[in-house]
Amino acid sequence: MSEHATMIITSSDQVPRATLFKRFPVPRNFGVARESRIGLGKAWPAPPGASRIKSFEIYRYDPEAGGNPRLDTFEVDLDDCGPMVLDALLWIKNKVDPTLTLRRSCREGICGSCAMNMDGTNWLACTRFISDMDAPATVYPLANLPVIKDLVADLTHLFAQYELIEPWLHARSPEPERERLQSPEERDKLDGYYECILCFCCTSGCPSHWWNGDRFLGPAVLLQANRWLVESRDEAKEERLDNLEDPFRLYRCHTILNCTRTCPKGLNPGKAIADIKDMMVERQG
Amino acid sequence: MPNPTARRPRPLSPNIQIYRPQLTSVLSILNRITGVLLSLLSVWLVVWLVAGAAGPRSYAVVREATTSLIGRIVLFGATFAFFLHLCGGIRHLVWDTGRGFDLRSIYVSGWLVVAASVALTAAAWAVGLSHSAG
Repeated sequence: MSEHATMIITSSDQVPRATLFKRFPVPRNFGVARESRIGLGKAWPAPPGASRIKSFEIYRYDPEAGGNPRLDTFEVDLDDCGPMVLDALLWIKNKVDPTLTLRRSCREGICGSCAMNMDGTNWLACTRFISDMDAPATVYPLANLPVIKDLVADLTHLFAQYELIEPWLHARSPEPERERLQSPEERDKLDGYYECILCFCCTSGCPSHWWNGDRFLGPAVLLQANRWLVESRDEAKEERLDNLEDPFRLYRCHTILNCTRTCPKGLNPGKAIADIKDMMVERQG
Repeated sequence: MPNPTARRPRPLSPNIQIYRPQLTSVLSILNRITGVLLSLLSVWLVVWLVAGAAGPRSYAVVREATTSLIGRIVLFGATFAFFLHLCGGIRHLVWDTGRGFDLRSIYVSGWLVVAASVALTAAAWAVGLSHSAG
């Protein structure tokens, strides 16, 4: 990661070094429903004897306690925990506050469970270095989603939208004796789409999905829609494109491109959506 | 997991309140804002044209308003908005051909749009002011 490449980002794992604004110039609780307003939280100091300390401001919400979400400040002993933000969160859970709730599994950036908003951008906690975070570091759940508890967001609606594009093989031709064959060139077309881990960092970072998420499918789902549209073994291309003939499902994408900027796997949903739009135009003659 | 309706509704995690402004989202929203601004300011363009057609006295009134300090400031802003929207629009047209979607191209074209808008605004005003002085 080159220090000089701060202005020109060439890969989504580059963290912005300096920005004019860390947030859009709107009030902290701008347009937020009463139950979502974030209040002041507790401060949890570092254990005595810690020399390298970093402060983490973490979003907390307890559905059983009632009350509003709040922002707790934890001081983490960096000499006692691993290098990634997930390590810091688990250190807090083990040593300071066991009620801190988060999703995690593989700890290597392949399962997508620990997707969350860190320092204002969505990424996986297990692949984000603590040394790349601001001081103090801010950790929020994935943006614009109902919060079940602390950093755990409700992904039900997003998976329902995924089901809507029918992400399975549609084949009317009878099952062959062995595999359905595919040439290497046809297989290459799937590169950049099959690797999606459905972490929903992109969809959660899309402003168009913030404002129209009930009907706009969002970059993750549309990337997968493209994955099935370019699948040579699939036989329902026309029907899949018919499914997207709607002012909202596909066409709320205005090429904002936050998705491509934030994908923790380096995929390009923006390009995929542009390819789908191209297919929609082509078939009209 | 069922959404509890008997208990209080779940809070929504913050979105624009905490999401980091990046070149991608900032240029996109600026394109929209400049578009709206330009539609409003085009009313003034019509006023200017109609005043010109109506005769020297009405034209003098509009000219007075446009060349006042506030008028010049608004005009400067409008010129910048115009060029930002124009360069942003060209960037969108390039995207419509399917080109320029890798991150490097997105950032290079984005900064080019900003640089070109500043340069074109400066050039337009340099030309305009030299004409009015001469």
